[in-house]
Amino acid sequence: MSDLLKATMALMDFTRIRVLNLLLERECCVCEVMQSLDITQSKASHNLSILYQVGFLKLMENDLWSLYSVDREGKYFDHMIKVVKKAQEDNKVLVSDIERLKGAKRIGIEKVQKLASQGCGFCAVCKPDCPQYKLRAEIEQGERK
Amino acid sequence: MRDLVKAFKSLSDETRLRIMNLLLERECCVCEVMQALGISQTRASRNLNILYEAGLLKQRKDGLWSLYSMNKEGMNECFNALIEAVRNGLEGNEVVAMDIERLRKAERVGPGCVSKSRR
Repeated sequence: MSDLLKATMALMDFTRIRVLNLLLERECCVCEVMQSLDITQSKASHNLSILYQVGFLKLMENDLWSLYSVDREGKYFDHMIKVVKKAQEDNKVLVSDIERLKGAKRIGIEKVQKLASQGCGFCAVCKPDCPQYKLRAEIEQGERK
Repeated sequence: MRDLVKAFKSLSDETRLRIMNLLLERECCVCEVMQALGISQTRASRNLNILYEAGLLKQRKDGLWSLYSMNKEGMNECFNALIEAVRNGLEGNEVVAMDIERLRKAERVGPGCVSKSRR
């Protein structure tokens, strides 16, 4: 039961469901998660590490990147992951996260933070002027209603 | 999406997972849950209510009893997958197997039901 409990606890947070949803699409480094979800580096790392500790994810480290991916041989893959996959079908936020992942670049955390402060116009990290950001705000408002 | 997060939250508790296990077996009244899990009426009712609020259960009144069961019709595919995941995760667990044993012996009489119907 403790395995199941850990899994439900890990997924009782929307950000972590979104992270898992991204990683189901393909393996990502922390900076791609940051860009796609429009969250800070500490939040991305924190939530990735929780999912990793519980056993949802695999970590592959090389010189440049720490790449996280869904552990397809893991104990949760068959059932819990299916829940997230089904959730994606009728959730706009999860779908738009995947869209933004396509535009995300593996540019490294430092550069993402720099771009975020300047506003780059191509990623979701930069604030109000960015069309991606506006789209996201609209969708979230719709969710709230 | 809130709903899914709420469902995960409601399942992040050992007592509630044990209750889910009972209700996956069959429809139960509060006093049966009390007996099977060996917990107080307030605790059974509260946890049943949390699962009910999350949309996982449905409730019906039958005379003195309020009966809870899985909300099979009211759930979308995502919730069904979640229930499957719970069922699978509980498989082979000794604690929940004992709960089912006790549920077989449980009787549908109890202070829980009676006091609830008087309210």
